[in-house]
Amino acid sequence: MPSPLVRTKLYVPRARHTVVPRARLLDPLRAGGQPRLTVVSGPAGFGKTTLLATWAAGASRPVAWVSLEATEQQPTSFWTYVVTALDTAVPGLGAGALPLLQAPHPPMQSVLATLLNDLGALADGVELVLDDYHLADGPAIAGDVAFLVEHLPPDVHLLIGTRADPALPVARLRASGELVEIRAADLRFTLEEVTAYLNGVAGLQLDDAELAALEDRTEGWVAALQLAALSLRGRDDAAGFIAGFAGDDRYVVDYLVEEVVRRQPEEVNRFLLDTSVLDRLSGSLCDAVTRGTGSRAVLESLERANLFVIPLDDSRQWYRYHHLFADVLRAHLVQERPEGVAALHRRAAEWYGLADEPEPAVRHALAAGDVELAADLVERSVIGMLRQRQETTVRGWLDQIPAEVVRRRPVLAIGFIGALMSRGEFESVEDRLADLHDLLAAPPADLVVLDERELARVPGAMETYRAALALVAGDAAGTVAHADLAIARAAPGDDLTVAAASALAGLASWGNGDLESAHRAYSRAVKGLERAGNISDVLGCSITLGDLRITQGRLGDARQTYEDALRLASTHEVEGPLRGTADMEVGLSQIAWERNDLAETAAHLERATALGERLGLPQFPYRWRVARARLREAEGDLAGAVSLLEEAEQVYVGDYSPDVRPVAAQRVRVLVAQGRLDEAREWAHALELTPDDDLSYVREYEHLTLARILMHERDASGKATRTAYGLLDRLRVAGEEGGRTGTVIETLALQAIARHVDPERHDLPRALVPLERALRTAEPEGYVRIFVGEGAPMAALLGALVERNPSWSYPRRLLGACEHAPASPRDHGLVDPLSARELEVLRLLATELDGPEISRRLYISLNTLRTHTKNVYAKLGVNRRRAAVVRAGELGLL
Amino acid sequence: MNTAATDPDGSGQYEIRLRGRLDPRWSAHFEGMTLTTGDGFTLLVGPVVDQAALHGHLNRLRDIGLPLVSVRHLGTEAELSSTPNPVRPTEGA
Repeated sequence: MPSPLVRTKLYVPRARHTVVPRARLLDPLRAGGQPRLTVVSGPAGFGKTTLLATWAAGASRPVAWVSLEATEQQPTSFWTYVVTALDTAVPGLGAGALPLLQAPHPPMQSVLATLLNDLGALADGVELVLDDYHLADGPAIAGDVAFLVEHLPPDVHLLIGTRADPALPVARLRASGELVEIRAADLRFTLEEVTAYLNGVAGLQLDDAELAALEDRTEGWVAALQLAALSLRGRDDAAGFIAGFAGDDRYVVDYLVEEVVRRQPEEVNRFLLDTSVLDRLSGSLCDAVTRGTGSRAVLESLERANLFVIPLDDSRQWYRYHHLFADVLRAHLVQERPEGVAALHRRAAEWYGLADEPEPAVRHALAAGDVELAADLVERSVIGMLRQRQETTVRGWLDQIPAEVVRRRPVLAIGFIGALMSRGEFESVEDRLADLHDLLAAPPADLVVLDERELARVPGAMETYRAALALVAGDAAGTVAHADLAIARAAPGDDLTVAAASALAGLASWGNGDLESAHRAYSRAVKGLERAGNISDVLGCSITLGDLRITQGRLGDARQTYEDALRLASTHEVEGPLRGTADMEVGLSQIAWERNDLAETAAHLERATALGERLGLPQFPYRWRVARARLREAEGDLAGAVSLLEEAEQVYVGDYSPDVRPVAAQRVRVLVAQGRLDEAREWAHALELTPDDDLSYVREYEHLTLARILMHERDASGKATRTAYGLLDRLRVAGEEGGRTGTVIETLALQAIARHVDPERHDLPRALVPLERALRTAEPEGYVRIFVGEGAPMAALLGALVERNPSWSYPRRLLGACEHAPASPRDHGLVDPLSARELEVLRLLATELDGPEISRRLYISLNTLRTHTKNVYAKLGVNRRRAAVVRAGELGLL
Repeated sequence: MNTAATDPDGSGQYEIRLRGRLDPRWSAHFEGMTLTTGDGFTLLVGPVVDQAALHGHLNRLRDIGLPLVSVRHLGTEAELSSTPNPVRPTEGA
């Protein structure tokens, strides 16, 4: 929901100086042990908001405030406001959770986990106030709020103001003393407080009997007391009024509002009634509704007179009426001028329409009963709303505009289809598309179109949605076919339709493993987006383009893609770097890493970190962590890599692209390197991966991971290794067919190792064949890590290759990199870890080969072997070969 | 004749009792309901089509702030509009 937030909802209401200090209520909140949860629960007009605002003014920690509305029943909206409020109170606090909330389907568990982590990291804590909680309360948010309360760090407190007890497990908190409740009975003004208010704050001069009568009649209800004070101000016969009031049993608010309103000048009276239809008031809006001028001054004087007008911001631009006051005024209005109400709503709708605020505009139009006006307003704003991802609002409008109105308005119809598609509600879309097709084929006389340009976009949009439906149904050919139609029918200059259709075709091709078509389609999408000026979306697509090139083994082209995107973004900067810039840095870090330029990798990651999650797209949090995990792995810190990958899994958000490198599989590869084969096997088992599976591109990474697991099986006969070899061969063929050179290089490298370590069929010369092919393929692109990451076994093979091809510099360079690399993984438990060479020796010590055979295999002299062996024994704390093998097994080194 | 047909949506005539006297003009706030008052109480009586409508009324009443005393289901439309069968005088004694 990256829509403009209604910032007035985040405004911390100013505590008015004209209030009675209610120490008896606030002291329990201020005492040292402030409870985790405070609930201020009572009917309208009992002073809940004032109490919380007064408390907030004196709070020692920063206060985050949200005045909730019914729209916050929707979890994304609720949590976006909550996190933004926290971020406003403590800048940076929302940096982790906000990007997650902007994904198409925000992962709520991750949002909460991230938020709680960030709250826990605060030095001084923070207070969170949720006012009017009853408006948002409901099954959609109650569970997550309960979770939040349950896990709040010590210095973070939640305060809730509500008219109905919240659906939270308060009983438990009450029992453990972590809940403070302030209920209606507490909120009622005592006689003492009534006195302090009426004679003190309101400046009246009432005697004890009069005060007691008022306290009795109002039962301490502060809204009524305020109205009574207003009625009494400047009145000569206070006693008479009080007697009359006390003797009347009408609903207090009715009685008093009538008194107050009757005593206003006629114009003010009219103003109050006319504007009672509004939820929010500003000078300009009120002028439009009352068809007058000078409303701003009226509002300011109402505020000064304490006439139930509450400011919503510091600049005194927006106000609202207190609910009770507004309700009574509305009832008066309906009774006095029922025929005039619709006109007032209509004027409000028009004002909001011009002010470009479609939501209140539509609401007022519908309240006016003017469906055509409402439809006009929706039609004008629907495309823009969808672009700002406000599909939930649009979806709500769909239910409120009668179907027969929609059937005459093609632009409206396509807008609603768009909203349904965005929300994944596909069922009725086919029928709606068919109806729309018929409408355009035979337009009726009463066809309504507000913007001809939007009408011209409809045919292209229809085919785009058909392409999307095909994609969802798994029909790749259908997706591409409809996408092509969409592009053919797109209106001239409708770059976004071309871009969207191209992206859909790209996704279909990608899922099918046709990477070259996918790249072509995405490139076309990028051009369309660039022409349309959607540069952040260009950056998003560049991630995909880069991924595709990397899979195709074209590192140089991938790097070019990211650099071009960064250059484009920098020329379009408005107020600093564009969103998506951070993702480009992550992409560049990946290229640098593949080439083993760890310093450059780190530099790009630092820049990505500095840009931060605000400048990252929704998948940035997980991709950034994966990239950092790769760096840690290269530095030998496998535990650190695993931990980051676990975090990455937590914050992963899917988009519509195929998940071709699942984070879980990436983590399992590190587990394998750590020797944690049991966990790796569990993963494979859970996914039902077997070496005999039919291969598909989407599962390629997972099957490669399976091959690695097999290769590490401690299997004396070597059967697992041969199974791995067979699987790798099939994967290699599939990779060659699909043009996935990255896969081809990886499979060849692993096949080389498999041949080499196979105890039964160990064959160095034959192992060098795939290796050489891998290197020849990899050299032009500068791959390094794909070899170095395989550790000691690869180092041995490279050594042999160097010996046979002394003039070829590439393997020599790779070997050098191997020898500089920290010995892979299994260093736990050893004070002095084994070097790569020593590990290779140890591996061979675990076989049946004798000394001379081992030294032949390693292309070293027997003396050198003896030195290595001595060092190995020393480091393992043993002095015999057999013991060394056992100890190595215990430490998981083999 | 099935006089006790249970309607799963709980529709029918409802009586909502509040403590305090609301001004008659409030009846416009509660579509379809008749507002009567007595000594210290208000009654809203009328047809309610289903539970959502009932909760809608209750929410609006909560916003007004008068204490809610009782909510009674007086009967379904069918029950209330049926007349006793004159041919069987012994029934319903």
